[in-house]
Amino acid sequence: MARPVFGREGGTAARGATVTRLDRDRPLVEAARRDPERFEALYRRYLAQVYSYAYYELGDHHDAEDATERTFLDALGNLHRFEERARPEDGDGASTFRVWLFRIARNVVANQRRGRRRHPVAPLEAAGLLASGTNVEAEAVRRDEVTAAWRAIGRLPADRRRVLVLRFVEEMSTPEIAGVLGRSEGAVRVLLHRALRSIGGELSGDRG
Amino acid sequence: MTFGDREVPDVEALRTDRYLDALLAAAERRATDVPSGAELDPAIRLAATRLARDLVRVHPSFRFEDRLAARLGEAARAMRWRAAAGGSQTSAPRAFSRRPAVDPHLAKVEGDQDAHRTGRSEAMDPLDPVDPRHVRPLLVGGALTSAALAGAAWVAWRRSRPAPRSPMARAVRAARQARLVRGLS
Repeated sequence: MARPVFGREGGTAARGATVTRLDRDRPLVEAARRDPERFEALYRRYLAQVYSYAYYELGDHHDAEDATERTFLDALGNLHRFEERARPEDGDGASTFRVWLFRIARNVVANQRRGRRRHPVAPLEAAGLLASGTNVEAEAVRRDEVTAAWRAIGRLPADRRRVLVLRFVEEMSTPEIAGVLGRSEGAVRVLLHRALRSIGGELSGDRG
Repeated sequence: MTFGDREVPDVEALRTDRYLDALLAAAERRATDVPSGAELDPAIRLAATRLARDLVRVHPSFRFEDRLAARLGEAARAMRWRAAAGGSQTSAPRAFSRRPAVDPHLAKVEGDQDAHRTGRSEAMDPLDPVDPRHVRPLLVGGALTSAALAGAAWVAWRRSRPAPRSPMARAVRAARQARLVRGLS
């Protein structure tokens, strides 16, 4: 059976493609479809990822919890609509379920932000937690570096910040990010490239 | 590696992407042979290495994790019971609400905005006790209440029968609605 692809790019080429390998989450998804209580395995696997995404987007733990809860409840209630779309070129360990789940999360976060009407802030307070060590001086330097990186991220336009979070925090491939954001793979690559150049310029300035 | 006739920005973006693939793969296997990325802009290399190190995943509190797991389990059991009662597993469970739940009767009379936005009030007759959205199984301490079981049976029975559309039924509903509105005003 022909399957559509993650992003827009390559849609024509992939129209004749067939699913040749297993989506990583297929067994869990099938189990959850048979028995909704088995959804818990998918929940445990992706909780931290969805929560992290919401936290970086919203900059607040309580808002991130609300968005996470809404995302998983929506996913559970709409699991029958999920359609696996794995392609060989998506690489090992690809999960179209994850892409689908993050699309839900993206919509939930967008709705939440619309209601809030406040620009998200980088979760800078968490930066201090990363820098824990025994060497006080090194720890202070590290904390400053983390803070500078997160501040630079917070200043990016939303679409650039989002691709960086999906790439570095969620460790998604470019095709997966394209699927989540509904953009072409080429557009995602350009966004990533520009975002990194902005961040790099800012960090170089800080360092110098 | 050839990039064909692509535009220069596309080529740079592709190079960056491949560098990121290698960098993140190396970080995942804790390898020391980090790719050099010599062909890239140094600013991009700096940003990539710093973000790979500093952008970490954030885990929610375990309390939240367990609370949501319980909520999902509850919703899953409700879906199973709805399916067993002849319904479907298709409707999305509702999240915890920080506001009090909206009385469906009030929502109908006062035109609850949230209900309209989410489509929950669509085609909903608040005076029709057989609407399956009103008879959600209620779990208390892991057991279905008898009221929920009775509701599920009622839904199964009514789904197999057409809704009453006689003039008398409509008149009774109109009278009940008028009484409800008077009571609220």
